[in-house]
Amino acid sequence: MKGWIGQILRIDLSSKSHRIETFDERFATQWVGGRGFALKILWDELKPGTDPLGPDNKLIVALGPISGVAAPNTGKTVVAARSPLTGGYGDGNLGTYVTSHLRKAGYDVAIFEGACDRPSYVYIENDRVQYLPADEVWGKGTYDTLEWLYKRHGKGVGILTIGQAGENKCLFSIIRSLEGRAGGRPGIGAVMGSKKLKAIVVKGTKDIPLAAMDEFKKIGATDLKKVGALDKKTGWSRQSTTGVLAWCNEVAALPVRNMRKTRHPEAWRIDGQRVDEARVATYGCPNCTMRCGITVLDKEGHESELDYENVGMLGSNLEIFELAQMASLNWMCDEYGMDTISAGAVLGFYADAIDHGAIAGDFKFGDAERAKELLRMTALREGVGDLLADGTRIMAQKIGKGSEAYAMQCKGLEISAYNCKFIPGMALAFATSPIGAHHKEAWVITYEINQTPRDSYGREKAQKVVDLQRIRGGLFEFIVSCRFPWIELGWDLNNYTVYFNKATGLNWTLDDFWKVSDRIYALMKAFWAREYPDWDRSTDYPPKIWFDPANADTDGPIAGKILEMEKYEKLLDEYYDIRGYDSRGIPTKKTMRELGLEKEAAELEKFTRIE
Amino acid sequence: MRVFVKLIGPYIYQGGFSEKDMDFDAPVSAETLVAGLNLNADQPKIVLRNGHGIKLQDMIGDGDRVVIAPIYSGG
Repeated sequence: MKGWIGQILRIDLSSKSHRIETFDERFATQWVGGRGFALKILWDELKPGTDPLGPDNKLIVALGPISGVAAPNTGKTVVAARSPLTGGYGDGNLGTYVTSHLRKAGYDVAIFEGACDRPSYVYIENDRVQYLPADEVWGKGTYDTLEWLYKRHGKGVGILTIGQAGENKCLFSIIRSLEGRAGGRPGIGAVMGSKKLKAIVVKGTKDIPLAAMDEFKKIGATDLKKVGALDKKTGWSRQSTTGVLAWCNEVAALPVRNMRKTRHPEAWRIDGQRVDEARVATYGCPNCTMRCGITVLDKEGHESELDYENVGMLGSNLEIFELAQMASLNWMCDEYGMDTISAGAVLGFYADAIDHGAIAGDFKFGDAERAKELLRMTALREGVGDLLADGTRIMAQKIGKGSEAYAMQCKGLEISAYNCKFIPGMALAFATSPIGAHHKEAWVITYEINQTPRDSYGREKAQKVVDLQRIRGGLFEFIVSCRFPWIELGWDLNNYTVYFNKATGLNWTLDDFWKVSDRIYALMKAFWAREYPDWDRSTDYPPKIWFDPANADTDGPIAGKILEMEKYEKLLDEYYDIRGYDSRGIPTKKTMRELGLEKEAAELEKFTRIE
Repeated sequence: MRVFVKLIGPYIYQGGFSEKDMDFDAPVSAETLVAGLNLNADQPKIVLRNGHGIKLQDMIGDGDRVVIAPIYSGG
């Protein structure tokens, strides 16, 4: 077996012991890596009902066969666990030197189980694993922790760490690495914190085995240059992802005021042009030649690395249009280790609930200073921050008074920075995203606005969502590579078959990748259904407020328009039909059999009916 | 006739402006308008008229707000 190392490092934090396990080619080719490996391991090893914040949950760090090898853009790592925010399978990816170091240490996967008896970090150097005290940095933010670890182990190591939010089990805490890298939106940082695991530090010095080592190195190096040249030619990284803010404002898709509104006349103050003008540095992931981390100074003078999701959710969604103040909120999220999307959604929901008299409070849209204080309280679970730290779904359950309708989440995960009150296909993409509402799975807004009637609910939109889920939520998550060269620069997807085949010695086509994608999506759905046997299609609905005529825009391009439930139901039916799921959104036996999931279907049948 | 034109993303730097009013003697197609803006010809563009996507052959009229953007794919 080439490409894959074939080894899993299993670390028991309770007993401070580890062992190295192997996996075979069948496992490798069925699940490929990253999300695929993490999902299959969690499915096999977690008992249904496992407390996400208990020692029986497992934190998975997973890579793929091209991870860490110089090629576009292979510096990503997947982190996964049963999510404390959603209760389902949860994962995320982030750029980090852990990617190359873990592979060079000899592993495709690391599994962390049990829990430390005191704040600790784990240092992995090839076959050696050390369990070291982290009391000195427990209670400190991610920037201080990274510096502390760099001083101890040198700048060249790979590090994953959490901040105070993870320690205090804020349900939307993430894992951090490098300057502004973060991943694991569904509370994977809280899982790490529940294990009293402050950081994972990795150093590897071995070679990564590739089937065609010399060829891969040559192609990888050449293609990295080509991607860099494409970026220069198009000028994409001048504004990077922040460029889309102005466009969203034009097409009425911007999150404003907890997504009550879709546009704002002040939005230009935080758009891509203004972000670029304020730039003081640019950062990026390892193995990347189109670095997207535009960094500005925040109100307090910290370097704050921005992307569109940060600006949309912490800026326009909160009606905070002072760039430096919005950057402060972003820096605080990075420092405390909180997801910026959920943080913006939580604060927006809180302000909205106060506005509508559902809860008493003193936070108003546009109040940046109070937002900072609330973020601090959330990370530390102080006062009302204890409520905010649970995310919008639980907040709405506690607040009641109809607030569930405007808690902007699907399956418990807050919606990314695209307001879909009149974008049916993208609403479907959010609602069917298998980890909860996340733009990384599929993004169809340009297609809907430019290639189809915006108000159509035709099968072609469901097909487009499935197609993109296969690529974005499938291929890029299991091969573990950043999707940006493809989505932003048009880098040909066939390049990834070349990388994969040179690494593994196999002869796969894109169709082989899509089969793995479908297998992963089916098992993710099965994971949810096993946890929640009364699972039904309502879990694939977007928030009610998007269907409420009273919430329609009163002016602009979508004035008076809103999603229509009856039509959405038909669109969802089309989606299920294409995917081979039943009317509850659960894969049928036939579908699972075709995807090689007979054993998993039998397991699922112990918990719920499969058609 | 007068048209408000807004460029988004990298087109700001190619075109040399972010937004301005432009005067034309008569209605023009989106294609004609775009062709006069010094933008990279081989880079795909999305053209919006008053917030709605249009095709390059569609006409632009007096008072329209025209936005020209690259193809965004959602980060």
